[in-house]
Formats: sequence, structure tokens, C-alpha cells
Amino acid sequence: MAEPLGARAVVLRLTARRAGRSAGVWAYAFSLFVGSSALGYAATYKTAAQRRQLVTTFGNNAGVDALIGRAHDISTVAGFTEWRSLGILSLVGAIWGVLLGTRLLRGEEDAGRFELVLVGRTSRGGATAQAVAGLAAGPLVVFVVTAVATAVVGHDSSVAIGAGTATFLALALVVSAVMFAALGALTSQLCPTRRRAAAYGGAAVGISFVIRMVADADPHLGWLRWASPLGWVEQLRPVTAPDGWALAPVALLSLAAAGLAVALASRRDLGASILPDRTAAAARTGLLGGPAGLVVRLGRSGVAAWALAVGGLALIVGFIAKAGGSAITDSPAARRAFARLGDTGTGTRLFLGLTFLLVAALLSLVAAGQISAARSSESDGLLEHLLVRSTRRSTWFLVVAALGVAVVLTCGLVAGTAAWLGQASQHGGVPYGVMVNAGLSLAAPGIFVLGLGALALGVLPRGVDFITYGFVGWSFLLEFIGGIIGLNHWILDTSVFHQLATAPAVSPDWATNGVVMGLGALGIALGMLGFLRRDLRGA
Amino acid sequence: MTAAISCSGLSKRYGELDALAGLDLEIAEGEVYGYLGPNGAGKTTTIRLLLGLIRPTSGSARLFGLDCQREPVAAHRRVAYVSGETNLWPSLTGAETLHLLGRVHGQLDESYRDELISRFDLDPSRKVRTYSKGNRQKVSLIAALMTRADLLLLDEPTSGLDPLMEQAFRHSVHEARERGQTVFLSSHILSEVEALCDRVGILRAGALIEEGTLAEMRHLSALSVEATFDGAVPDLSGVGGVSAVEVVGSVVRCQVRGSIEPLLKVLAAAGVRELLSREPSLEELFLARYGAQSAATDG
Ligand SMILES: Nc1ncnc2c1ncn2[C@@H]1O[C@H](COP(=O)(O)OP(=O)(O)OP(=O)(O)O)[C@@H](O)[C@H]1O
Ligand SMILES: [Mg+2]
Repeated sequence: MAEPLGARAVVLRLTARRAGRSAGVWAYAFSLFVGSSALGYAATYKTAAQRRQLVTTFGNNAGVDALIGRAHDISTVAGFTEWRSLGILSLVGAIWGVLLGTRLLRGEEDAGRFELVLVGRTSRGGATAQAVAGLAAGPLVVFVVTAVATAVVGHDSSVAIGAGTATFLALALVVSAVMFAALGALTSQLCPTRRRAAAYGGAAVGISFVIRMVADADPHLGWLRWASPLGWVEQLRPVTAPDGWALAPVALLSLAAAGLAVALASRRDLGASILPDRTAAAARTGLLGGPAGLVVRLGRSGVAAWALAVGGLALIVGFIAKAGGSAITDSPAARRAFARLGDTGTGTRLFLGLTFLLVAALLSLVAAGQISAARSSESDGLLEHLLVRSTRRSTWFLVVAALGVAVVLTCGLVAGTAAWLGQASQHGGVPYGVMVNAGLSLAAPGIFVLGLGALALGVLPRGVDFITYGFVGWSFLLEFIGGIIGLNHWILDTSVFHQLATAPAVSPDWATNGVVMGLGALGIALGMLGFLRRDLRGA
Repeated sequence: MTAAISCSGLSKRYGELDALAGLDLEIAEGEVYGYLGPNGAGKTTTIRLLLGLIRPTSGSARLFGLDCQREPVAAHRRVAYVSGETNLWPSLTGAETLHLLGRVHGQLDESYRDELISRFDLDPSRKVRTYSKGNRQKVSLIAALMTRADLLLLDEPTSGLDPLMEQAFRHSVHEARERGQTVFLSSHILSEVEALCDRVGILRAGALIEEGTLAEMRHLSALSVEATFDGAVPDLSGVGGVSAVEVVGSVVRCQVRGSIEPLLKVLAAAGVRELLSREPSLEELFLARYGAQSAATDG
């Protein structure tokens, strides 16, 4: 080709810039997470005796292993940091990778921007190759920042992680984002819309998480780890026993998915998909009579997917609860450590109470998603079709809020029921009523987030996503790291999850939950007042 | 009879910018009104204020005597709206979209809807996601017309339509006028407005600078002429009706109002080799007619 490189690489540069920009916040979160895990552990568990206690609690606990991954050498700062950050962040990275890959490939194509860049410049395959290469800028930014931050923290004598180890740890933390971004690029070729591409990618994350979970729950099934991309990440053991071989399948999958994406892209029309797509359909008008029906019709598949994810997670948590709980109750030290949770009777309940935090976070994400969808319908110019006809602003707003509450409560019910089923299959002995009560209590933070989002929608519509997702992320981070580094309770109180009693370990505190949900309702009411008075606003 | 649209002192300010500045407008029932103006003049802002989608900074507007801000739903029952930038739900089919929009409006002439679908040659079984911009525009037009609403608020409704569909649109507006519906048509396209409208208002920088029937506005429709000569270019400055004369080499460009005969005589006498003439674009008209005026007021 005679064209200069600068002109040919325009897609590469555009994609790289956007990927790099979205990576900033993740780089920050990853660094913060790794740094606080290391420093927090070093500060909290100073003596060898304290560390031994931790090992007896978590070192050989099938439930915890399944959830976060196998713990190795957690009597050392380095081992603990590897275990905790790899277990959580590889999953976070995988989800981010899917969203990044599908947004910058299928999303750009859906929005018609890909078409603009393409005109007369390069072939479709070439452009896709550039875009896929550009995606790498995201994980690269996270890798560099995290490696530097870890090396700096590692320099502290209480942590003592060398620069080389810090680099390998940072690499291990981002490879799941690389693999799943490549998979996202692939599903972007297969599916006709960004949403569906993201759903397929999300399913891949879910499947590899479950396989990794099963592999870690039972020592005899350890080989299964090699069947899961998230298992490969765990197998890297960057700090405790570095195994470079596990990078081989990582590289193989990334390159194969990226190569296949490029190959498929040159075989299809712009805007078309490889998998068959129904471009026409007989009219199904059952729900299309008004705003409520419309919101249900448009949101039902997304809500069903979320309910499935929540139910799946709760089922697995329930399934491993008895094993996980007995390890805790067998250790007097752990009993003492968890005594502040109140006397709970069984370890199963204790374990469920501790892990339900994850489920509560999912429910809050569901709530944030409901408001985010409502805002999109405004910024995409869809809401105005209703408001210029006979739909009142107040009607639409209340429909969104009421359906949001219903969705969150339903997911809470699903969580309680699924967790009950899981633990009942192992004779965990927690009554159904207790589990459902606990599940429903998880809805309280969700409803609070819904109210916060509704308030933002009413008075600061362009900040809806930032405020709701940012708040959920902040709360979750605080809960996860606050416990280790002993944060001041004023800061901890800003996390909505901190207000949540660890049901079913103790009975839900419905008085506090009532206040939290009442604040949510207040947010909805104030948000509506704002919405009635403001201009409709585009993106 | 109450006016279909009446605005008094209607203003909208975005920060420092007056998108609309004290608009007074009165449109009778049954009128077809053309609302003209260059980009950013405030046409869309006016229509969104009338629909209550945005709030006025000051002033008020009524549709059929109903306040646009306080009684929007009652007003909307009598109104149908088409925007120039139509986004629709990508996962619904055309038929599903029309069903939804009809139900939400509350008023619907089904046989007319079917007639419109075939007139605009729309395949309603396809998903909106697969529609071109023109096809989405058709859905929006059909959804508005099928209600037979008393007032049609149309904001550049033909953007993206091909000439055949533009004809179908004009036909539909004629039908609406015959049934006594009021039409408020915002447009860039002078010929479209000339073909359809009884009365025209011209908006510029948020203010109505000219309003009247088409006959009254004739003086605006100047003709652009471009003539090429083999020999010397004649002096056109004294010729009746001619303005904005511009000479580039052997080519002369100018604008003519009223009769073109005096100009033709001079051109023929000078031995013209090639002659092009066309209706000037709206922007050219504005530049010719109001450019000097705004320079005077700005400076
Ligand atoms: N939400 C907004 N925020 C800030 N300025 C705005 C907003 N909406 C419109 N404007 C400004 O108000 C002015 C009038 O815009 P409007 O959309 O009404 O113009 P228009 O006559 O419809 O133009 P066009 O022919 O391009 O559609 C423009 O200068 C525009 O930039
Ligand atoms: Mg406009």
C-alpha cells in the first residue's frame, strides 16, 4: 500500500486512545486494591501467631478457595496479596475486557462511526485488525500503572515485593482483560448488536468462573483449572510460584480470538453479523400499549440475564456454604474474629452472611443498570416519542422507579431462594424463611442506589452513570479493603453495604434497612420533582 | 376561534446564547405555516418549547388555548410531531413501533395508516435496527400523519427522504390541509415551503425577522445568474433588478429580482456563450438580504 502509515493507522490510534482513556480509572482501582491489600495485611497481621491464625481460617477452606481461588502462603504479605488481588481483580478485568472489546468494536459499528473512519481508507479486515490491536492499549495502561504502584508499595520493608515480582503480578492481573477483550472482539463479529455481543462475552466469563470455582473447591478436580481462562490466570501464581507456562494458553487464546475476529470481519458486510440475525419479525404488540409495557418489553431479557447471574452466584455460594463455614467455626481464633457479627449458631450462616456482600453488590449493579437504561432512553431521543404524546413525565418516572424496585426485590428473592437450595442440597440446615429474609434484605442497598440514580436523573442527568456506578464501586471497594486496613468508621459509613447486617449470620436489621430504603424513596421523590421541572437533555 | 399556536414573548436562553428571543407568533386553525431559518436560528427550539420538552426562560406558548407547560398532555392529544433526527427503538419492528406510537397517542385512523404505509413504501415487518435514516423518517411521518391530529408540528420532516418520497410527503400535507388540519412546517428547503405553505415566517438568530403570505414574500425569491462570455464582460451594475454583481475573469455572477428581461437583453447584446440560472439557496438569500443589516447592528 502506498499510503503513509499515519493515514493507515487511523483506526488503531482512535481505538487505542479510547481504550487508554477508559483504562485510567481501572489502573487507579487496581493499584489501590493491590497496594491496600499488601499494606493492610502487613499492618494488621504483624506477628507470626496472627498470621498462623489467618492460615487456619482461610488456608484450607474449600468455600473460600472456590470463591476467590486457592490460597498459597498467606502467612506472607506477598502470598496474601497475590491471593486476594488475583482472585478478585482477574474477574473484574475479565468483565471490563468484554465491555471494552464489544464497545470499541460492535458499539462503534452500531453507532455508524466505524463506517466514517473506514471510508476509502482500508479494508474491513485491516480496520478490524487495527481496532483489535488498539484495544491492547487499555490493559497496557493498567499493567504499567499497577506494576509501578506495586513496585513502589513493595519497596516498603514490611511488604518486600521486588520489582520483577511486582511486574509479573501486574501482568497476571491484566491478562484476563486481554483475553476477554479479544473474545469481545470476536463476539462483536458474531452478533448483530453490541448488547448481544456483550451478553455472549459475559456468558464466557461466567462459564470460566464456574469452572475455576469447581476446580478450586475440590483438590481432585484441580486439573480442571486448565480448562478455564480464569484458571490459567490463577495458575500463573506470579508471586508464590511463578509459572510462565500458564502464559502459553493465555497468549494462544488471545491471538486465536483476535485472528478469528479479523478473519470473520473481512467476510461479512458492515453492520451484518456472522450468526444468523432476524432482521424481520411478525409484530408482537402485547406489551406495546404504554410506557410500563414498553419498559418491560425492552428490559426483560436484560433483567432475566441478571436474575440468572444473581441466582447462579447465590446457588454456588449456598452449595459451598457448609464446607466454608465449618472451617471458620472449627477455628477458635476465627470465631473470636467474627464474634462482632453476633452469635450465629452455625458456620453455614456465617459464611453465607459474609459472602452475601457479593450478591448485594450485584443487586446494586442491577439497580444502577435500571436507571442507566432510563437515562439512555432520554439521551437517545426515544423518551420524547412518549412525552410528546399522552404520557406524563410523572407517569414515566414512576414507572421506571416502580419497575426498578420490583426488579431489585425479585433478584433479592431469587438470591435467597437459590442460596437456600444450594445449602439445603448439602444439608446446611438454614430454614427457607431465614434465607428469603436475608435475600430480601440485600435489596435495601439496591433500592438506595435506585433512589440515588433517580435523584441524579432528575437533577443531573448527564452524571447518572458516573454517580450510580461510581457509588456502587466506591462502596464495594470500601467494604472489601476497609476491613483490612482498619478504615475510620466515618469513611466506612459512606458505603451503603456497610449498613447491611450480615444476614443470615444475624437476622436482618429491618429498622436500618427501612431507613436505607426510605432514603432511596426520598431520592426517587426529589428526583421526580427535578425531572418535572427540567429540559429533556441529549447526550 | 382560538389560535392553533400562540406564543407571546417566548424566549429560551442557553448560558450566554439566546436560542429564541421574545417570539410572538399567532397561527390560525387550518393554516399551513412555513417556518424558515438558517442553521441554529431556533426552529427546533421553538417546536420543543411548544411540546413542553424544554422550559422557556420567559414568555409562554399555547396550543389551542392550552398552556404548553401546564397542560401538556391535554395539548398533545391534539398534536402530532415529527423531528428531523428520528431515533427509534432498534429492537422493535416498524409495525410494532407504529402500534406503540398509536397507542401512546390515543388517536389513530387505521385504514389511513395502511394507506400511508403503502404510499411511503415502507416494509413494516423489518426491525428498526435495519432501517436506513430515510426509512426511520418514514416511520416517524406515518406515526404522525396516521393520528389525523388537529395540528402537525413538523421539524424538517423530509430530511433523508428521496425525491419520490418527498412527493408523497407533499401529497399528505395537501390532504391534511384539505381536512382542515393545521400544519407548522419548519424547513430549510424554500421550494418545499413555497409549494405547501400559505404563510411563511423567517427566523434568524432567535428572532422572527419577516412574516407574511407567499405573495408578500415574493421579493425574497431572487434568481442567481451566472454568464460566461467569449469577449469582454459587460457592465451590469445599472441594469434593472440586478444586484450582487461579481466578475471573475470572463464569468459574471449576479442576482435578479422581478423580471429577468432587462438583464437578458444586455447579456445577449454582449454575446453570452453560456448561461446558468437557479433559485438561490436560503442561505444565499439571507446573505444577500440580511447580511448587511446584521453587520450594521452588530457593529
Ligand atoms: N441544549 C442546548 N444547549 C446549548 N445550546 C443549545 C441547545 N440546544 C440548542 N442550542 C443552541 O440554540 C440555537 C438554536 O438551535 P436550534 O436547534 O433551535 O436551531 P435550528 O433552527 O433548529 O437549526 P437547524 O436548522 O440546524 O436544525 C443554536 O445556536 C444551538 O446551538
Ligand atoms: Mg433544527
